[in-house]
Amino acid sequence: MADTPVERPGDLSATSLTRRRLLINAGVFAGGVMLAGPLAACGGSSTATSGGTPKRGGNFRLGVTGGGAGDIIDGQKIVTKPDQARLVAGFETLLEYDKNYKLQTTGLAESVTQEASDKWVIRLKQGITFHNGKTLGADDVIYSLRRISDPKQGLFGTAGLASIDPNKIDKVDDRTVRLNLKQADSTIGDQLGQYYNGIVPVGYTRAGEQIGTGPYKVKSFTKGQQSVHERNSSYWRSGLPYFDTVTIIDFPDVAAQVNALRGGQIDAMTDVPAAQITVVTGQSGLAILEGQGADWRPLCMAIDMPPFDNNDVRQAFRLIVDRNAMLQQVFSGHGRVANDLYSPFDPAYDSSLPQRHQDIAQAKSLLKKAGKENLTVDLHTTDGAAGMVDSANIFANQAKAAGVTVNVHNDPNYYGDAYLKLAFSVDFWGTRNYLPQVANGSIPTAPYNECHWPPKDSNYISLYQQALAETDAGKRADIIHQMQKLEYEQGGYIIPMFNNLVDAYSTKVAGFNQGSKATLNLDSFGHGYRNIWFA
Amino acid sequence: MLDRPGPTGGPAKTGGIWLFIVRRILQGLLVLVLVSIVVFAATQALPGDPARAILGRGATPASLAALREQLHLNRPVVEQYVTWAVGLIHGDAGRSFAAQEPVSKLLGDRVINTAFLLLCSGLISIPLSILIGSYAALWRDRPFDVATSLITLVFAALPEFVVGVALVVLFSTTVFHILPAITLIPPGGRPWEQPVAIILPTLTLVLAVTPYVVRIMRASMVEVLESDYVEMARLKGLPERLVLRRHALPNALGPTFQVIAINLAYLAGGVIVVEYIFNYAGIGGALRDAVANRDIPVVQALAMAIASLYVVLNLLADIATILVTPRLRTRL
Repeated sequence: MADTPVERPGDLSATSLTRRRLLINAGVFAGGVMLAGPLAACGGSSTATSGGTPKRGGNFRLGVTGGGAGDIIDGQKIVTKPDQARLVAGFETLLEYDKNYKLQTTGLAESVTQEASDKWVIRLKQGITFHNGKTLGADDVIYSLRRISDPKQGLFGTAGLASIDPNKIDKVDDRTVRLNLKQADSTIGDQLGQYYNGIVPVGYTRAGEQIGTGPYKVKSFTKGQQSVHERNSSYWRSGLPYFDTVTIIDFPDVAAQVNALRGGQIDAMTDVPAAQITVVTGQSGLAILEGQGADWRPLCMAIDMPPFDNNDVRQAFRLIVDRNAMLQQVFSGHGRVANDLYSPFDPAYDSSLPQRHQDIAQAKSLLKKAGKENLTVDLHTTDGAAGMVDSANIFANQAKAAGVTVNVHNDPNYYGDAYLKLAFSVDFWGTRNYLPQVANGSIPTAPYNECHWPPKDSNYISLYQQALAETDAGKRADIIHQMQKLEYEQGGYIIPMFNNLVDAYSTKVAGFNQGSKATLNLDSFGHGYRNIWFA
Repeated sequence: MLDRPGPTGGPAKTGGIWLFIVRRILQGLLVLVLVSIVVFAATQALPGDPARAILGRGATPASLAALREQLHLNRPVVEQYVTWAVGLIHGDAGRSFAAQEPVSKLLGDRVINTAFLLLCSGLISIPLSILIGSYAALWRDRPFDVATSLITLVFAALPEFVVGVALVVLFSTTVFHILPAITLIPPGGRPWEQPVAIILPTLTLVLAVTPYVVRIMRASMVEVLESDYVEMARLKGLPERLVLRRHALPNALGPTFQVIAINLAYLAGGVIVVEYIFNYAGIGGALRDAVANRDIPVVQALAMAIASLYVVLNLLADIATILVTPRLRTRL
């Protein structure tokens, strides 16, 4: 794999590696700084999966669910689902997640190292150019990170990179940047691999020209309809990508999307509804691509609001759920049962905690102990993501057995003023590793802490700070296990399941990886459409 | 045509017709003003805060305040209405909250696309239904009439989405693979450049509208054929063709035009469903999206566009009815 020896900067001498640890899979790839073969993780495996030798040419037409007048193209933000598909065509991140959701140096950085608990160094690969011919350099990375850190931009990555001090990003040389953090943070590498933390050139604005380093550059874009992306002929991964153009088409209606695929008007589509899977597999020339997502739709109990300020009630509610039945009903079984904990792909995920099963008798006895028999609660939900309303209704139904009456409120204005102030609500989240997720949803400073976690008397926050400061992956995992145990025993989330990402494509297209652990659809859209081709 | 003597012999009073048209136009404008007030009031009463809806989960108090300021949501309602109404008169429907660009830019192509779809559907369904309805009346209770009656009843009972989906199954995905399942109009392109792609949506709309018009045309024609003046014409020995064309058809068309107008106006609503089925880039998708986004300027602009279509179609139907119905024309 390490077929491309990477020159290390002088200050990263072998002797200092003992205290300067590479966050990325430090245990797996000892001295992983050198593992920077650009195609090591992305090219080889996919070629082996299907389709034989890649070929050049063609217009790849992708139908993406959703979209509308709110569509944008921005290297660091999405509004609608088609925005994701467009972002990854043109913009790339410093690090990348592979198909096992492990961070790899297959992105723009040849290395990302944690020098100290609050110091990170990013070293860029050589010879990468933007769509306009400009060479990628340290200034672009600094500009990109400052843009993400600017709360006024309203970008996705802002909360995750909150520890970066935008005024203390040093340019070491043309390809090296040092981040001096406001506080210790071991999650910077994770954040730099998130697809929405794309690297943009100095001076980039959403309204301006869409210039990135990605395999395809924007040729045209009409909100709510479609965009055309043409091959970046000077792409830094030589020989890639394969298509001449990629056309991304919005589909507000899934039925039209499936029809378009069946009628041959598009070559691939995202998000096949469970009911339509057999329709797709029943037609020759079409195939389903199923990835293991780690998206989750928690039922959120605010731990400081009655009746959920009593942990017995919270635990009783967690025992009410028949997770497998819910998985079957909501996603026709295309997913995995969860254990009230998020971030299942994190190497530090504690899979030793016993799987919770439905236990109505125990739930009833806990409710009795809490003095909350024949409880009636309101559950707020909205049609924000597939399964949010179904989950709520199914839970309400299952709760009857425990004598709990759940009144489901499906509110189109759910994300209004009442959001985050509700005692019991359904929300949705994407795939993140544990600590980045905590920053977004499980501490008081998190933007979306639905459960108002943690309890006042808990040591959760101090554990979190220890974990951020801990540079040793093994020790950090131990701390994370303690945090997960607290959430498992006292938390406010009911997490019944993780859904799979079910997409469909014409078998004319080759190169997709089946079963990837992924954040995005279609094997991360063929990694920005660079790994797929017309066979 | 206006100078042609009516069947009663006297010249048509053309001045009367012009006066009538002017009066109807003024009435139409008044209706539009009233509609604009209702539309504005209704969209103001939409539940939820547009700033919230646009920023979604990512809203912060600061970004909300900034956006409300930017969208003039803090100004008095009357001031907002006047600004909006004056803008409309100047052809400026404001800026889309969601897209952050002028509504006219966002909707321009879509209005053309939808208008073309409606035009095609109207041009096919109107003559077709007048023809079928007339022959059904002429051949009353004969096989053609019975078959027409049955088929139109079936199609009148089927909602557009059923018809549309059935057509897709039949012609695109399952039985045959001869027509595109969706209509892909490339941005900047025009629907008439893709005639094959608009066959199914047009057909769906034609099937949605034709049955009603056929049935009213038939009923109206049957009534006319039984009237005294048709009988008189026949007794006078006029050739049957002339009886039908000069005496029966014009009188039967009057009520039919009213139904056509209502149905075409209804199409402007039905087109939303059809555009959804075929992923057709028209105002239907834009309206649906705008409601979901609380994109009030877009909702308002589309509501006004559809209301204007109603007014114009009704005006045209009234004028056409007057022109073809001698009794009404001479009464002016």
